[in-house]
Order: sequence, then structure tokens, then C-alpha cells
Amino acid sequence: MRAIRLLCWGVCGLVLGAAAGVAAVAAAGAIAAGPTDRDPASIIDVGHLPPLLRLPGEQATLRFNVFCPSPGKDPFDGEPCDAGGDVFVRAGAAGAFEKIPLRRTDDVAYGRYVAEVPAGLASSPEGFSYYAVLRNETTGASLTVPSAGAAAPQLSLPLERAVVVDLGAHDFGSTRHADARVAEAPWGSAPGQAGLLRGPTFGPIGPSAFDVAANGDVAVLDEVNDRVERWHAGRHAADTPVDVTGGIADMAVEADGSIDVLEPTGDGRTPELRSFAPSGALRSKTPIEDRTWSQLREGPQGPEVQQEPSEQWMPAERGRTWLTRTAQARGGHPGRTLPNGRELVVFRAGTSEARIAELVGDHVQRVWRIVSATPLGEVQLAEPLWNRIVVVIRPYTEAQDEFLVLTLGARGVESSFSVDSADWAETAPLARFRLAGSSLYQLGSTPSGMHVDRFDLEVNR
Amino acid sequence: MSLLRPRVVFLAAFLVALSLAAAKAALATFVSANCNYNAPTSSPNMYRDGSVTVALVARYEGYHWGGGCWNDNDVDEGPNEPLQTSSTGGEGGDCSGLTFKVWRESLNTGDGGHYQWGRLRNVHGPYTAADFKAGVGVPNATYPKADAIVMDAFASSTHIGMVYQRGTSGADQIVEAKCEACGTNIFTRTYRSDSSYGGVRRMGWTG
Repeated sequence: MRAIRLLCWGVCGLVLGAAAGVAAVAAAGAIAAGPTDRDPASIIDVGHLPPLLRLPGEQATLRFNVFCPSPGKDPFDGEPCDAGGDVFVRAGAAGAFEKIPLRRTDDVAYGRYVAEVPAGLASSPEGFSYYAVLRNETTGASLTVPSAGAAAPQLSLPLERAVVVDLGAHDFGSTRHADARVAEAPWGSAPGQAGLLRGPTFGPIGPSAFDVAANGDVAVLDEVNDRVERWHAGRHAADTPVDVTGGIADMAVEADGSIDVLEPTGDGRTPELRSFAPSGALRSKTPIEDRTWSQLREGPQGPEVQQEPSEQWMPAERGRTWLTRTAQARGGHPGRTLPNGRELVVFRAGTSEARIAELVGDHVQRVWRIVSATPLGEVQLAEPLWNRIVVVIRPYTEAQDEFLVLTLGARGVESSFSVDSADWAETAPLARFRLAGSSLYQLGSTPSGMHVDRFDLEVNR
Repeated sequence: MSLLRPRVVFLAAFLVALSLAAAKAALATFVSANCNYNAPTSSPNMYRDGSVTVALVARYEGYHWGGGCWNDNDVDEGPNEPLQTSSTGGEGGDCSGLTFKVWRESLNTGDGGHYQWGRLRNVHGPYTAADFKAGVGVPNATYPKADAIVMDAFASSTHIGMVYQRGTSGADQIVEAKCEACGTNIFTRTYRSDSSYGGVRRMGWTG
């Protein structure tokens, strides 16, 4: 009888103990887990390619794709949502906006929601400025693009008297050799080596960005090894540890040696920009305004970031003080700010055309229209060099790609050459080239390591 | 004799069971605790912009090699997993798993229909990035990169990402499950002009 009673107590203990164990872990898991599922009604995003630079007679059509869940359905149902919205347009960069409701079309390729800018506004010699407020008509969720709306609208400028550069068909295989290799490192983690990240479902990722000082010193962001590596006079000089996430980041080094790193993610929902002292100590970090970035450059007043979906360059700092996300958005503009205060606007149009304009204020000062019989990929670099503009663009086919370096002057191309893409390892999207002095530098890689090559540009002042 | 008192026996049994149960429960992975193996539902339509919304759900939910199950709370509940390990059961898809699910494909490579998989359905699909690049499977075809539009994809021998929007620089915003450190998100990439990548189109869009 006693044995049976003991057995009962033991079984009860086992059952209750097991239940308590499962409950305890479940409770701990619930506490540790993140928030519950997001409200689908809050999901809204946009795809939009702003027509920054328009040729005479080109139709001013604004197209948007609005991404949000369909009414009353799970986002995974994949039905297009009941979206709508308005575009607010005005001639030039000042004055009152005119409201144009978006029209829904069947053309999702370039944007299902369309607004035709009235001819009277589109033909303004000062172009037109606009912003759009997009809505999920069912839930009321809305999104403004560019994100500051009327405070920093997008600008679309007419191209009068463009210098046409016709490249014809690109001649692959006639590449120029570098004048010097100014940095070189085999893959690895030791000093003087460069980190390489490889995985089964992504290609090799090497140092994701670099920068070059006025004296030719090279700094390479070795994000895999959490450091910035430096080369002086072609020799590895130092490693500076930096606290980075290890993802593909862009980098710019300020004149005083401070290091700005634009990370792919952040603590919040948008990526963050981190500022390091020349010693590598983290000074501060700040989120950027938009969900996505494409490039980071140093402007005359601090770092500027090209952000999407606004497709604007936004200042991140003023006088060593980070700007709030709202202040970044309110400073948005279509081009990158140059040291002389002018602005350089890049617009890759269609499949094989690039338009480059230099602005003074909101007015086009000089403009080039580059056309090609070979498809053109991204504009990797557009930088002033004295009174010229150096452009690096990427012609490509299904099987080939190279970078084409153009020096643009008042009459068109003053000089050009091709360089091997040397892109075995991935970098940040628009971080493969930098201009310092009158030399162009390229961050390249092969299966054995990474390198930085220098190409001296023969440009007379 | 005192060890055989009922209360002592109960306590000992309780503690042993508690430890074992807690250890077993604690070893549960995200997949084993949350995901299912439900059959997909067939759907007559498939829209490019609607499919972008499907992809948006996967943002911030992490990356898991060989994976295909995620919730929608914007937290990666299987972070810092070792490379090339699917057995850790973490949250998120990998690049080809995300594409398979967003493109509503079938496990049968000869079936070009549209199949809606739930976000908590753990499925990777039969295709690697290299398969997609080669246009393997009835629903998939190679496609000229210059003509790729929203929800077409660029694939290399190891990676695939879907077009979200082309940018003014000529680079593309791509929605992709990139890597453990990168997660799943929208990133600007230059796959279009990179000759190691080819264009891929999912056939059969409604619009």
C-alpha cells in the first residue's frame, strides 16, 4: 500500500514537473520574443523613378507602384491593394502646388498609378517640382514621397542645349592598365589582409567601400574584420578597429580623418550612419530617413546620403551635429552637393542613356546626354575635375561588363578609356571608384585578394 | 527511510521532470515551434505589385539557409546562425527560398501554376539560385537584363534577388534574402550590369 502511494506521488511529481517545465520555457520565450505580428494595414511602400532630367518634348508622366495588402486580406494573398493618391505639382521650385489625382492603370511595369503633369507646368523653363501622397484607400495608411513632401519636393528639370555624347557600341576587351597599384591585400584576417565573406547563397563579399585622401593615402573598409585598413605610398600602414555590423556598407573619410560608415541596417527600421574618430572610436550614430540608401559622399557641410524611395540626396550632419530624420528629409535635393555649392544631378534614362546636369541653385548650368548602342548600367561616379566632369559608367551585355571612364567638357568627351570591372567580390553598390586630385581610383578584387588601382587622368586645367 | 517519504518522492520526480521538459522545450527551434507543412492553395491570379507585398512581409525577419518560414513581427528570431546549416531551424528564407515563395511556385518543377504558401509554411522549393539563373522549371525563364521590371529577378550561380525599383543612378533596389549578417530587406544592388548575373522571369503573371 505504501509503495503504491509513493508511486502515485512520484508520477504526480513527474507530470506536474514536466508541465511546469514546458510552461516556464514558454513563458520565458514569450517574454524574450519580439512583438506580435505587424498589423498588415500598416504596410505601404512605393516604387517610383523620378524624371529628374527631361528632354524637350518628353512627356512628363509620373508613375508610381503602390505596395500594400488588398482589402481585408493577408498580405500573403498577393492581390494588389486598393490604392490611390494625389500628386502635388507646381511650375519651378516656388509657388502653390496643383493637386492631380492619380489614375490607376494596368501597366505595373513602370508604375500602375499615373499622373500626367499638365503641359503648362511641364513646359515651364524652370521645370516643375512635385510630391505625391499615396494611400491604401481601405486602411488609410499613407506614404509621402519624397518624404518631406512640400518642404522638399522632387525637382524635374528640362534639358536645353544638352551636349550629346554618342558612345556607339561599346568595344569590350580594350581596357587600360592602371598607372599604379596603390593598395593590395590577400584574403584573410591578419594585418595586411582583407576579409572575405562567402556563403552558399551569396557570392563573395569583400571590403565594401574605400576612400582616398588628397595625398593619395587609401582607406579600405574591411567590414568583415571590423576595421579600416590604411595604405600610404603603396604600403600597408595601419589598421583601425571600428565597430561595424559586418554588412555591406558605404564609407567616406572626412578631411580631418573622421570615418563615416553607412550601414545596411540600424536599430530601427531604417539604416544608420555611424561616425568614428580617426582613432576608430565611435562618436555617434544616427538613422537615415528612408528605408534604403544607394550611396554616401562627403559634402561641403558633412556627409550626404542618396536615399530611396525619395531618390534624393539628404544631408546627415550640420556642424558636427546629426540631423534628425525629419531634418534630413527637409534638406533633400535631386543632386549631390559639390564643394563649390553647385549640385550634380545624375539620371540614368531608359536602358542605354545617362543624363548628367550641373545645377546652380535650381537652374541647369551645364548638361550632358550620353547615349549608347550598348545597354548602360549604373553611373558609378560623377565628379567635377576643374571645369570638367568625370563620369564612370558601366556598359554591359548578358555576358560582359566593363567600366567606361569619360571626361566630359564643354564640347563633349575630351578623353575616355575602359577598365576591367575587377568585381570578383561584391562591394557597396556605388563604391567602386573614387576621384582624388586628378587620379581615379578603383577598388577591385580577384579570387586571390583585393586591390586599389590608380588611373591618372590627363586633363589640362 | 526518510528518502521514501511521499513529499520527497514527489519533489524529486517534479524536479527531474521539470529539468527534462525545460531542456527539451528550450531546444525547440523557430521552425519546430512555429512552422507548418500545410498544403499550398492554388490561386488563379498573380500580380507583380501584389507579390511585392508578399516579399515585404519577409523584411526584417532574417535569413536562414535552406529556410522558408517566417512570421511578420519584424524580428529575426534565429539570428547569428552558422553558415550552411539548415538544421538550426531559424527564421527566414534564403535567397532562392524567398523567391520561390514570392513567385508562388510549385514543388513540381513541371507545374507552372500559382500556389500560395503561407508565411509560416516551412518550404524552400526545388530551385537553387543557379537553377533560377538557368531558367530551370516550367514557371521560370531566362530574360534580358536590360528589360527586367518589378518582380523579375537577377540570379548568379549562388544568389538571386528580385527587382523592386530601378533608381536614378541606374542601380536597382532589390528585395532579397542576402546573408545571415544582411538579413532580408530591400538593398540597392548593381546585379543588372554584373555579368555574373543573368535575368530571370517568372512566367504567368496576371498583371
